[in-house]
Amino acid sequence: MAAEPVDLLPGTLELLVLKALSLQPMHGWGIGQRIDQLSRDVFKVQQGSLYPALQRMLRKGWIRSEWRTTDNGRRARYYALTPKGQRQLQAETEVWQRTAAAVNSILRVRMVEP
Amino acid sequence: MIADLLTRLRVLMSRRRWQQELDDEIRFHLEQEEAARLRAGADPSTARREARLAFGGVDRYQEETLDASGVRPLSDLAGDIRFALRALRLNPGFAATAVLVLSLAIGAATAVFSVVQHVLLAELPYPNPSRLVRVYQQDSPSNIWSLSVVDVQAILEQQKTLDAFGAVRWSAAALAGAGRPEQIPVARATSGFFRALGQTVATGRLIETGDEPVGTPPVALVSSAFAAERLGGARAAVGRSITLDGVSHTIVGVLSAGVEELAGVRAAVWPVLQMGTPDRRGPFGLRGVGRLRPGISLEDAARDLAGISQRIYPIWEAGFKNRVARLTPYPLRDTMVGSARHQLQLFAGAVVLVLLVAIANVATLLLVRLSARAHELSVRATLGASRARLARLVLTESLVLTVASAGIGLGLAGLGLELVGLIAPNLPRAREITLGGQGILIALGLGFISGVLVSLSPIAAVLGRNLAAMRAEARRSGGARWANVVRGALVATEFALAVPLLLAAALLGNSLLRLQRVNPGYEAGSNFAVWLSLPETRYPDSTAVETFWERAVQRALETPGVVAAGLATSPPPDNQGDVNNFNLVAHPVPEGGAEPVSPWSFVTPGFFSALKIPLLDGRMFTDADSSGAPPVVLVSRSWAEHYFPEENVIGQQLVEGGCYQCPLTTVVGVVGDVKYQGLTGNGEGVYAPLPQQGPRTAALFVRTQTAPESSIQPVLDQLRRLDPELPLSGVTMTEQLRRALADPSRWTAVLSGFAAAALSLAAMGIFGLMSYVVRRQRREIGVRMALGAEPLDVMRMVVIRGMRCVGVGTGVGLGLVMLEGRWLASLLYGVTPHDPTTIVAVTGLLLMAALLACLLPGIRAARIRPSEAIAED
Repeated sequence: MAAEPVDLLPGTLELLVLKALSLQPMHGWGIGQRIDQLSRDVFKVQQGSLYPALQRMLRKGWIRSEWRTTDNGRRARYYALTPKGQRQLQAETEVWQRTAAAVNSILRVRMVEP
Repeated sequence: MIADLLTRLRVLMSRRRWQQELDDEIRFHLEQEEAARLRAGADPSTARREARLAFGGVDRYQEETLDASGVRPLSDLAGDIRFALRALRLNPGFAATAVLVLSLAIGAATAVFSVVQHVLLAELPYPNPSRLVRVYQQDSPSNIWSLSVVDVQAILEQQKTLDAFGAVRWSAAALAGAGRPEQIPVARATSGFFRALGQTVATGRLIETGDEPVGTPPVALVSSAFAAERLGGARAAVGRSITLDGVSHTIVGVLSAGVEELAGVRAAVWPVLQMGTPDRRGPFGLRGVGRLRPGISLEDAARDLAGISQRIYPIWEAGFKNRVARLTPYPLRDTMVGSARHQLQLFAGAVVLVLLVAIANVATLLLVRLSARAHELSVRATLGASRARLARLVLTESLVLTVASAGIGLGLAGLGLELVGLIAPNLPRAREITLGGQGILIALGLGFISGVLVSLSPIAAVLGRNLAAMRAEARRSGGARWANVVRGALVATEFALAVPLLLAAALLGNSLLRLQRVNPGYEAGSNFAVWLSLPETRYPDSTAVETFWERAVQRALETPGVVAAGLATSPPPDNQGDVNNFNLVAHPVPEGGAEPVSPWSFVTPGFFSALKIPLLDGRMFTDADSSGAPPVVLVSRSWAEHYFPEENVIGQQLVEGGCYQCPLTTVVGVVGDVKYQGLTGNGEGVYAPLPQQGPRTAALFVRTQTAPESSIQPVLDQLRRLDPELPLSGVTMTEQLRRALADPSRWTAVLSGFAAAALSLAAMGIFGLMSYVVRRQRREIGVRMALGAEPLDVMRMVVIRGMRCVGVGTGVGLGLVMLEGRWLASLLYGVTPHDPTTIVAVTGLLLMAALLACLLPGIRAARIRPSEAIAED
């Protein structure tokens, strides 16, 4: 049985969305699916919370949206990364990795008995 | 940043479409999820349920997305405004009244404040305006006068603190060579005058130092408008000649477009001022304008100029004994505003009072409306609207009203500014005033301020009270007590504010009446005056001038219907012409002190008979008082009483104009007082025989048997036969007198308008309040009448209640006036600001208007039929 899913750290959802969109433009549901896939169901994300996040990112100019027809002929809103979003993804990834590395190194220290 | 704005804007502009798209998107999402779960083998109903569960609350995320779009505060505001507009549409009478009252008040205030801003506050339209100064002669804090040729030349030679300095003298001149001959205002100026003011030309060149020596061919500048109208445009104008008082002037330049006035001097033609070598310290008639060097303070310049005064005093001491007179610089702007400051302040004060009355009035209307809506508001509160939300609703509604009013008011202010030109034609810099961006800011600012003020008391009502209680109270017949108190206070405020306005208007009206009754000292009604100015070219010497004057009087007398004619250099009642200093032989001023001055008119005996000025003592001038004869003068009765209260004035002698080498002048007679310094001035004056001075400019006064208007043309025709090239026009003495009263009449009219507006608003306020009270208490009044109250008792009750409120307001207003009434004093004539009769009359008028306004609701109350009133509801 899989481990209990964990809550996302604040701000992480946007990073995940950026990462998902860096592969190809997708609609909201697709983004959710991709995040689940990539994270192997570790994170507990309510699918609805994607939409406020997408709205915020639109305002920040990281992504843009357009209505397109899906493979099976449905109209859906697709989101794509802007150059600004691309840069944001890089920057956030770096920060994340540095933070993660730092936290990991702290956790690896063995406490020595006095 | 830009993406943010665009996104928000898109959402805001098409909110409905945005919402539709979000709905579509979420539906698509749920369908995809459901289909995925179906493919994974779930049964249809489970698939649908689980899809929704995985999504989370659809409504919740829709709301959060809207929040994330960042338009909520704006869309709420838009909603509030839509709501306010709907509420106002439901009550068009209220909205129309409020907008009408406020837009008129805001319009008036915007116009007046624009004028104040331009005239009192704005910088002068010259480069580095703060460094511009005007230089005066001054010998005491209150006595300043203009400069002489000696002063100007001394300043130009010796000053060390000015970058540029020049002089200008305004006068009238006969223009020929540009259209028909005409008397026009001209301003003769030196090159430094234009340099100091940083002027440039549209074409040609400015007046330069080389044009100034006497003997160089005279040059002139003209305004762009003059060049366009009379000379065929700026290019054609340069190089042309015009004739001023018979002297040909070459036009060397055209001033920049729009320059019609420089340093407060209005003229279309600016000839060079050529100053010869003076032979005495006076006369003083030049305006000196200078520009301080950078870093030089006014005090530095004052010290510099005072030094010059001391150095030149000994040179001219023989004819100018005023040792303490100093050349003194003043900031140019202050000198240009002058007496307008006081009148404008009065104007601004009045308009603020009217605006406040209007605001109080609309606040009352809003409160009445709020009570009527207590039910609606309490339902909203029950449904979860916070008090802050309700307060915001009230504020939005008021702001929609007042900002709309400000918009209309701005349009009205545009019209108002046109009126200002009519009301105050002499206002300095009046032509510069436009509404512009500042006007819009003022109007909008006033709109917002009044919006907030108007909604203060309604908001206090919403915030401070439990709405349920408010609703319960509103249901009781008396209406809510808090609301009654606030409404009463507002109406009382209106009356308190109306008192000073009415009083000011009444006092001004009172002084105007007194001014109209002032005896100008002569009989106006069957006489007129013609200005005559003889150019040097055709009248080169005193003989030619004297001959013309003699013939002019003779020709006038030969005209049918003319009974008397004479000449004078000072036309009453508000042109004192020349002023001269003198020293009495019997009572000389102490060594070095300032000599007294008096209006000094050169006249022929016919002047006194044309205006019916009585000879009270001594003798009239005769033909023997000619240019070579010993100098003699007539003095007015006030002059005689002032300088010789105990002695006989006839035969007294004086030194004239500081000329101690000249023969002494003898007083030969006393005539009646004539007003020369305006109707409020004193009647002092000195008359010398015209031939002894030989002026080139004088007015011919003519008395006729019949209506004077019909004789003007025949007399002008006679004069034209003497000299066809003279510009001529006549004005009746009645018209002249009317012009002297024009300013006070206009101020009175304007202030009366404001006062009438305030009084009507206040009366409207008390009428509205009492009508409302009667409507609310209909049932209670019905009960009282059923129990035996007479209609008269009911009426009395209503009227007394209204008048109590009015009384409090009026009392407070009178108290305010008592505290501060001095500001009006300088505009009044013959009445004090605390004139008891006026105060009583004004209070009476106010109370009468209020009584009428209360009587109507009182009558309505008395007509209530108990049976109907009780059965209602």
